[in-house]
Amino acid sequence: MYQRYHLHTSSAPEIAPFPNRTVVKVKKPGLAVHLIQELIRYRGNRAVALSRPCLYGVFSGPVGGFAPRSDSCVACLRCTIEYPGMVEVRLNPKHLSLGDSYFTPGHVDTVCYEARTGRVPVKGAGYRGRFGGEGWDGMWTDMSEIVRPTRDGIHGREFISTSVDIGQKPPFLCIDGQGLVTGESARGFSLPIPFLLDVPPSSVQSPKLLRVLVDAAQNAETLAVLPITLVRQFKLEGRIVPLVGPDDAGLLEGLGFAPSMIELEGWNETLFRELQKRFSESAVCLREDFISPEELLERYRSGVRLFHLAADYHGLGQDGRFVLELIQEAHAAFLQAGCRDEVTLLGSGGIIAAEHVPKAIICGLDAVALDTSLLAALQARFLGECRDRRTSRFQLPRRLSVNWGTQRIENLLASWRDQLLEVLGAMGLREVRRLRGEIGRAMFEKVLEREAFAGIEGYDGKS
Amino acid sequence: MTEKADERLIIKKHTRSLHRGFELWPEAGKSHLPAMGDYRWTSDLILSTWLQAETGEPPGNGLEYRVGNSGGGFDVLDFKFLPQDHWFPHDLSPDLSIPLNRRPDGARIGIPVPFYGAGMSFGSISEQVMLARAKTAQAWKTFTSTGEGGYPESLHAYKKHVITQVATGMFGVREETIRDARIVEFKYAQGAKPGLGGHLLGDKVTTAVASMRESVPWISLFSPFPFHSVYSVEDHKKHLDWIKTINPEALLAVKVSTPIDIDMVAVGSYYAGANIINLDGSYGGTGAAPEIAKKNIAMPIEFAIPRVHRYLSQEGIRNEVTVMASGGIRTAYDIAKAIALGADGAILGTAELVSMGCTRCGNCERGRGCPFGLTTTDPELSQLVETDWGAERLDNLYQSFTLQLRNILRWLGLASIRDLVGRTDLLVYRGPRQDGGSAG
Repeated sequence: MYQRYHLHTSSAPEIAPFPNRTVVKVKKPGLAVHLIQELIRYRGNRAVALSRPCLYGVFSGPVGGFAPRSDSCVACLRCTIEYPGMVEVRLNPKHLSLGDSYFTPGHVDTVCYEARTGRVPVKGAGYRGRFGGEGWDGMWTDMSEIVRPTRDGIHGREFISTSVDIGQKPPFLCIDGQGLVTGESARGFSLPIPFLLDVPPSSVQSPKLLRVLVDAAQNAETLAVLPITLVRQFKLEGRIVPLVGPDDAGLLEGLGFAPSMIELEGWNETLFRELQKRFSESAVCLREDFISPEELLERYRSGVRLFHLAADYHGLGQDGRFVLELIQEAHAAFLQAGCRDEVTLLGSGGIIAAEHVPKAIICGLDAVALDTSLLAALQARFLGECRDRRTSRFQLPRRLSVNWGTQRIENLLASWRDQLLEVLGAMGLREVRRLRGEIGRAMFEKVLEREAFAGIEGYDGKS
Repeated sequence: MTEKADERLIIKKHTRSLHRGFELWPEAGKSHLPAMGDYRWTSDLILSTWLQAETGEPPGNGLEYRVGNSGGGFDVLDFKFLPQDHWFPHDLSPDLSIPLNRRPDGARIGIPVPFYGAGMSFGSISEQVMLARAKTAQAWKTFTSTGEGGYPESLHAYKKHVITQVATGMFGVREETIRDARIVEFKYAQGAKPGLGGHLLGDKVTTAVASMRESVPWISLFSPFPFHSVYSVEDHKKHLDWIKTINPEALLAVKVSTPIDIDMVAVGSYYAGANIINLDGSYGGTGAAPEIAKKNIAMPIEFAIPRVHRYLSQEGIRNEVTVMASGGIRTAYDIAKAIALGADGAILGTAELVSMGCTRCGNCERGRGCPFGLTTTDPELSQLVETDWGAERLDNLYQSFTLQLRNILRWLGLASIRDLVGRTDLLVYRGPRQDGGSAG
C-alpha cells in the first residue's frame, strides 16, 4: 500500500540555557518614581498605572519591570521607545558568542528553532540581511510565475518527491532476447530525503551522540556515517554507513549487519576494489576532499561511481575556494565526460542552513551530508573556530539524552525537508532529482549585477 | 470605573508614550538603540523615516536617510550630480507626475508623484492603518491598494484612490469593488514569498476579517499559488478581459515577482492587456513569510528593473506600459534610483509602516500581531494608531520624499521625473562599504 513519507515532529525544547538575542535593562529607581507619578496621575487606578508596554511578558513577573524577563523579549523595542530614560534593550553578548565566524549566532538561532519545533521558520517583515555576498549568499533560486507541480498550489507540496538515488547506474541496460537484463545493472538504493548524517568530529564521539545519530537515521529512513571503529566498539547497528580507512577496513569483517553503503576515506585503489568485491551488495563510496576534475575522472575510470566530496566546516576546499564553486566544477567534470548520470555526488561542509541544500543540489550534488548543523541542533557549544572534523572542539550539553537528541535531529530534518519543498514548489518542480545541476534555476549576484549595472560609472564588473 | 474606560485610558497612555518616543528617538541618535535595525533598514533609516514623518523634511542631524548598509543594490549606487553652479534654481519645481496609462486608449489616469501605496490587506493591517493610507492617497491624488482582503465599508469614501486587488484566494473580491475601482490589480505573486501564495494566520482572522473575506473566524487563510485558471499569457488575458467586462474604464495592473524570466513575464503581461506592470522584488515586506523565501527565491528589484526596461524597449513597447517597482523601496533615493534603472515609478509599503512607528521587529505574525498596532486586527492594539495621526505621518513622509525627489532632479538638471527613466548614465557605482557595514 502506498505510504507517504512522513517525519514525526514533536516539540523538543532546549535542555541547556539558550541565550536570548537581547537583554532588557530597567533603571529601577526611575521606574519606582515613574510608577508613583502614574498612580497619582491616574488617581490610584492600578490597572492603568501598572499597564505594561510589552505584549510578550517581559514585565509580567510578580515585580513587573523591576525584574524583566529578558528571555521573553522579541526585540520589538516598544518598551524602550515608550520609556526612553528607563528601559534599555541591548544585544546579548552571550548570544553573540554562539557558533563561530561561519556558523553565526543567527544560524544557531534558526537551527535551534527548527530542531525545537520541526517547523519552517516564518516571520513578518521582509528580508533583513546583506544584499548578497560571498558563498551561498550570492546565489538565488528561481521561481516560476505560473507553472506549478500540481494544480493544488502550495497544498500540492505533499506530492513533490524528495527521494534521491544513491549508488551507481550503468549508462544503459543490456537486455537479452528474453527481456532479461544482462551485464552491468544499477547498484544502489534510494533515500526519501537528500540528507545523510555525517560523521561527528572526534571531540564529541560519545556513545550517546552516536546512538542519537543512529536512531535519527533510522527514524528518518536515511543513513548515518560513522567510523567503523566506533561502530564495532559500541556494537551499533542500523542504517549506518561504516567509514573505513586502510588501517581499519578489517573491522568490516564480522559486522553485525549488511550496510547499504560503505565509505572509504581517501583513495586507495587496492582497498577500493577489495571492498567492492567483498561487499557486493553494498555501494562503496569514496570520501575525499574536493579534488580536481582530472582526479575525479581518474577515480571514475578506476571504477568509483559514488563520491562523498567533503569541504571543511566553513565550506572551503583545500585550495581555499568555496564549496559552491567546487561542487559546480565536480558536476561539470562528469557532465562534460558524458558520465554524470552514472555517478552519485554527495557533499558536505559549509551546508549549515536549509537554503544551502537546494543551492548545493542546483550546483550539482545529489544529496548532502549534514555535519555541524546537527551539533548545533543538539545545542553543542562551539569552542573557538570549528573548521574540520579532527581539530574542532565542541561541547555537548551534559543533559543530552538519546530520545531528546533523536527528536531534535528529526525535527531539523523535517523542517529542512519542508523548506526544500517550499523551494521546489516555487520553482514548479515535482521532484528533487530534477533539481540536480539545474544551474538555469539559479541566479548569481555577480552575473545579475554585471548585467544590471554594466555601463554605470565606477562599476568594473569585478566586485 | 468600568473595564472599558480603563481600556481607553490604557490605550491613551501608551499612545501618548509612543508618540513621544517617535519624536524623541530620532533626536537621541542610534547609539541609544543598539538592538534596532538591520542591514537593509539600519537604525539610521528607521529613525530618519520617523523624523521625516514628524517634520516633512529630510533629517539635518546627521542620520543617514538615503541608503542602508546591505552592501549591494541601491545601497551601492549614487547619483552623478552636476556641479552646484549647474543646478536648477530652487524656484524651479521639477515635474514629478507620471502617467499610469501609457496606451493610446483607455482612461487617462496619472499621479502627481511617482509613487503609490502597496497592497496591504485588511487583516494583515488594521482598518485604521488602511484608512490612514487611503486618506493620504486621496490628499496626494495618488493611490493605495486594498491588498487581498476586501474593502471595509469605511474605505468607500476614498474609492477613487484605492486600487482593488484580485489575488488567488479572491478574498473580498466583489463586483462592486471592481466596478468602483479606477485601477484593478491582479496579484500573481509577492516578492517576499514568490511562488508560495499568501497566508493569514488564524490569530488575525477576527470576526470582522472573516466576515470581509467570507471565511470562518480564527481559521488560517491561504491564498494558493498560482491562479489555477492561469497557465499561459492567453489565460492571463482572459482574466484581464473578465475585469474589463465588469469595469471597462479600469486600468489593469499586474503584480509579479522577479524570476529569471521576468522580462518575458512583463512582455506577456503587456500583450495580455496590462497598463501597469508591478515588479515586486524579493526583498519586500510581508505580514508573514517563510524566512527561506525572503532571501533565496527570485531576484532583488535592482536587478529586475533594468532587465525588464531593456527588454520592453527592445520589443518596442516600453512607451506603452507603466513599470512600477516595489519590494525594497525604502527611501526617496531608492525611488529615484529605481527610476534611473528603468522604472516609471515606485510602490511603497514598509516605508509607510515605518513612518507610523514600525521598528521592523518582524513580529507581525506572532499572537495578537504588531505591538505598535500596525499589522494587527486586535481590537485593542489597533487603537494605538489613530487614522488621522497615521495620515499626518504619511503626509509628512510624502512631503519629504517629494522634496528630495525634486532636489535630486534639480541637481541632475532634469525638469521632469519622466526624464530620469532608464538614465543609468546618471548613476555612479560606489561599491560596498570597505568596513563591510553592520546591521543596524
